[in-house]
Amino acid sequence: MLKKIWKYLSSMQFAILLLLILIVSCAIGSFITQGQTFEWYKEAYSERAAALIIATHMDDLYHSPWFLVIAGFLIANLLLCNLIRAPQLFRRFKDEQKIDKALSESVTCSFHSVDKPGPVFAALSMPKPVKAEADGKKILFSSSNRIGLWGAWICHLGVVLLILGFGLGQMTHEDYSLYGVSGQSKQVGDTSYICSIDSFRVELRDDDTVSQYRADITVHDSLTGNSQAAEISVNHPASLFGYKYYQNSTGWAARVSVIKNGSLLQETVLCAGESLTVMDLPELILHFNALYPDYVFIDGRGPASASGALNNPAYLYTLYYKEQLLGMNVLMEGETITVDDYEFRFSEPQNYTILQIKRDRFTALAFAGGILTLLGIFLAFYLQPRKVWAVQENDGSWTVSGLSIKSSALFREQMEQAIQRSQNSNT
Amino acid sequence: MLKIENTLFTAVMLLYFASMILYFVFIAVKNDKLSRVAILLQAAGLVLHTAALICRGIGAGRLPMTNQYEFATSFAWGLCLVSLIFTYRFKFPMIGAFSAPVIFLIIGYAAMQSREVKALMPALQSNWLGFHVSTAIIAYGAFGVSFVVSLIFLLREKMQDRSFWDRHVPEKEKLDLISYRSVCLGLLFLSFCIISGSIWAERAWGSYWSWDPKETWSLVTWLIYAVYLHLRIRRGWKDRSAAWFAVIGFICVIFTYIGVNTFLPGIHSYK
Repeated sequence: MLKKIWKYLSSMQFAILLLLILIVSCAIGSFITQGQTFEWYKEAYSERAAALIIATHMDDLYHSPWFLVIAGFLIANLLLCNLIRAPQLFRRFKDEQKIDKALSESVTCSFHSVDKPGPVFAALSMPKPVKAEADGKKILFSSSNRIGLWGAWICHLGVVLLILGFGLGQMTHEDYSLYGVSGQSKQVGDTSYICSIDSFRVELRDDDTVSQYRADITVHDSLTGNSQAAEISVNHPASLFGYKYYQNSTGWAARVSVIKNGSLLQETVLCAGESLTVMDLPELILHFNALYPDYVFIDGRGPASASGALNNPAYLYTLYYKEQLLGMNVLMEGETITVDDYEFRFSEPQNYTILQIKRDRFTALAFAGGILTLLGIFLAFYLQPRKVWAVQENDGSWTVSGLSIKSSALFREQMEQAIQRSQNSNT
Repeated sequence: MLKIENTLFTAVMLLYFASMILYFVFIAVKNDKLSRVAILLQAAGLVLHTAALICRGIGAGRLPMTNQYEFATSFAWGLCLVSLIFTYRFKFPMIGAFSAPVIFLIIGYAAMQSREVKALMPALQSNWLGFHVSTAIIAYGAFGVSFVVSLIFLLREKMQDRSFWDRHVPEKEKLDLISYRSVCLGLLFLSFCIISGSIWAERAWGSYWSWDPKETWSLVTWLIYAVYLHLRIRRGWKDRSAAWFAVIGFICVIFTYIGVNTFLPGIHSYK
């Protein structure tokens, strides 16, 4: 029984079944929006569908236990297949250059009464044939592309490393996000690193489209006191203290001043989406909703921005007192909001940067797997092993034979053409 | 430059259309000369198509591979190139005859897209763009050839007038081989495409695989052709069944290209 299970687990039949399940699962996962709640699916589909999606983990299909089990089975299948095939392949690899083996094998095609076999080998781009003798007959033998025998094996190994690298990376990776304006410093997640945003600029083209987002950052290790600095932009991340820093996104920020009875009470830079709690009246909260750099009011649509340039900045805010909505409006540059003794003012609109900080120790393993997969596919498809040998008959003519297991029809045709060319050159 | 590209694009459409009609007539009247003229028209179309893409590249100041129009016209170019190579390599004009309508449909789809030249967003400003997209074009072209050869394979069995088909269509074993060879080429380039895309995504987005619909469907396509190759090794799955699988595989390719952008928008939806 165990032997049967072992055999099935390593079989191609099982591999095909797993691949088909993966195909169907991946396709389903692409149609169902991932990472949503029961309520969201209920709204989008129906209550019954939502219950089914949650129960079968299709809301996070690619990380679901059953998907991981399938990936695990695929790794086991490919490893077992490679393990079983390795000694066999190694033997075949050695035998590829043995003349006696070739003579005893069934051939793809054979041609009799060939006058000169030399040009046939050349026409087939075979290496220079080796001379030998068997049963008193002269033999010319050549074999090529035997490394191609390992193609599928290497490809399988590559896929295994790729899945392992990806899976281990998913399990162990660290992923942080950080945002701020020039001059701000923030801790990177729960690490000992402090990231300072030295400067951040959005580079625009003449037509107002963004050409690049660029940030200069310095990272300080609070444990050792060491610092490392780098410039990062989209497509150009930097590696600092083993973490990769990516220029991910951007948004608008502004300076908010709170004035009480004519004197400055507090001042801070708020990014859109952040709130400010008034120092001596914590029940009073100002929420900075959005910034319109080139403010226009469109009938039927409301506030909008005519362009990305800071031509006419306006700030959308909401005020709360004791968790009750006091008001929501758009404030222009220089205008103030007054609530009893307090005045609020927005100024210095500027872009803030969103950085992504990652560490994945298994990326290299996954990429090595990818390279091996590519190499394996190339070897399997484009370096197919072939053997050609010629045996001199008693009448002095030669019998030329060839063997290519894969693409035998093409090989036969190539041999026919080579023989034809050789015969024509003789006449 | 973009005006020249516009003119060339129209000429290319006309040449591909004329070539398709000539191929149809060739099959209808069974005149071999017509197939040779059709191949020449297709080749002329490819030359002008190459010139059109170069003009677009110069006019836009970048590789013409970043939106639906540019990828569709490049896809048609890739299919035309691979089909002509296989036509020449295997002396088999019927590949051209069956590719011509597919090429015309794809270039027709391109003609319906916006041809506006837009500056590249920062994420697309990478040296990987050219490699990633051109490998996709070759892969899709090769899968397209495998699709048409498999169709020929399936139709060959149904044809009553065998003499014409016997004369112009190779025997089943060779058709299966051509389909297999084009799938091999396609799979190799699709692997290049996926891996180069992953390396690029890791640099641009900080994640080499995000299960974005385009990524997922490229993987689905890769897996389908992997199944095709494994099934061919198993007895009884060569020929007819393999031909059907190659047809399904190409439907998947088309979905990955058009369907995903239309129905499943994600980070790859560059309009």
